[in-house]
Amino acid sequence: MGVEYVKEMVFKIADAVSGGEVVPIETAHVSGVSYLTIGEYGAQFLEHLASLGVKVSVFTTSNPSAVDIGGVLEVGEEVLKGQRRIDAALRRLGVNTFYTCAPYEFVLTRPRTLHAWAESNAITYINTFRDAWSDKNPGPLALLGAIAGFVPKTPLYTMEGRRPSALVKAEVGPLDSLDAGVVGALIGERLGSGVPYIQGVVFIDEESRREFVAAFSTYSSMVFAVIEGETPHWEEYRKEADFGDKITISPEDVGRYYKDLEVPDVVYMGCPFADVETALWVLSEVKKRGPAKRPIYISTSPSVAKQLGRLVEEAARYNVKIFAGSCLVVSPHTRRFRVVATDSLKALYYIPRLHGVRAVPCRRSRCIDLAYA
Amino acid sequence: MLKPLVKGRGRVKAEVVKIETPISLLGDFDPERGAIHGREVAGRIVALPFVKGSTVGPYVLWSAAKSGKAPLAIIAEKPDLMLVTACVLANVPLLQGVVKEQCLNLDLESGEYDRC
Repeated sequence: MGVEYVKEMVFKIADAVSGGEVVPIETAHVSGVSYLTIGEYGAQFLEHLASLGVKVSVFTTSNPSAVDIGGVLEVGEEVLKGQRRIDAALRRLGVNTFYTCAPYEFVLTRPRTLHAWAESNAITYINTFRDAWSDKNPGPLALLGAIAGFVPKTPLYTMEGRRPSALVKAEVGPLDSLDAGVVGALIGERLGSGVPYIQGVVFIDEESRREFVAAFSTYSSMVFAVIEGETPHWEEYRKEADFGDKITISPEDVGRYYKDLEVPDVVYMGCPFADVETALWVLSEVKKRGPAKRPIYISTSPSVAKQLGRLVEEAARYNVKIFAGSCLVVSPHTRRFRVVATDSLKALYYIPRLHGVRAVPCRRSRCIDLAYA
Repeated sequence: MLKPLVKGRGRVKAEVVKIETPISLLGDFDPERGAIHGREVAGRIVALPFVKGSTVGPYVLWSAAKSGKAPLAIIAEKPDLMLVTACVLANVPLLQGVVKEQCLNLDLESGEYDRC
């Protein structure tokens, strides 16, 4: 009964969006697993699903939770209990509870394979940098799809739906993490929907790629961009393109984004989760200066934290708090702050909205300066 | 005539709350108060252009529906997969189109409507 009920829900969604057609998937990634964001009813929904005795039929990972693994972030008893219930429900459902928003780090999706992912930055990452196909599956649909083994055949699962619809010329770069986020946000805000074909974008590192996809998908409903010279099969997409819109991103556009800076009480990096490289860079910077006056929080995945090993403790001595499995977007810990400085445009968007805490942008090196200001 | 995507049963007669800009269900919609940007939507019909942002959105609407704080129906100019999933989970009828009326007498199965 359980699996049939789940399949019926997926078909009902397919009836509304894809004429009832569905596609089989290789992997799934579920979002909406933080007690803070889904609350009591979200937890009840997951428990309800788990009580049916159903399990995922494909390899499935999960987004960050409200509670980090090492206990760096303080959360109340209610959130802790709620998060434990969600964790138990996910495990019963067979989900691999890695609690990361960057599953692309270890789920190496191949080009032209189909997936049901539900974290907008991660979806955009695999679509844009790997040409692995996922549409923007909402958290519950990715989970229902993981159980059913299929999801509705929505536009991004078809070549027709992936045809670039707008030409974007970027006259800025190479892009560091903050500029990459601003360019992503600008393209997102100006186009809103469709598939952009972007010329002139060069990322200086992995971190800037992550910031670009996170901002692009936060400031729009889009989860796929073709980047000339970067996206696999970009030449094929260029031939298929049908440009309705043409926009240019100039250095002036990017400059207008930076507002007057307030002095923060905390610096935050790792949204999406930081890679090893970023954590090592911050550590090398603080080692030159000694313990930071203001804490620097870095969120990362449990696997990256494990790779860093004892460096996590060493960083703590410099007031750098590396924590895994959660982030300042989904943790209530953030509410203790007044102003958060961050190089993440995604954090800049969500922290004020979800926690009522002000957030200001900073370039990576400037973020470090602010921690000592 | 609106296009019904997630069909409901019967008719509703209610005030229309028009949201002019795209919203993120996570962040812009308060499921405990049943309000969007401070405007009460529980027991009313919401008309909006489209939703954006976090994929957590459907749980938020489901959560509102469990406590009776969801809108009676949502009319979206450009509904997407996330809004459809939210409406299927929360059992909130979803219709595609644009309305100018302040109050609607709406058939949730056919999408036919008139002013009330």
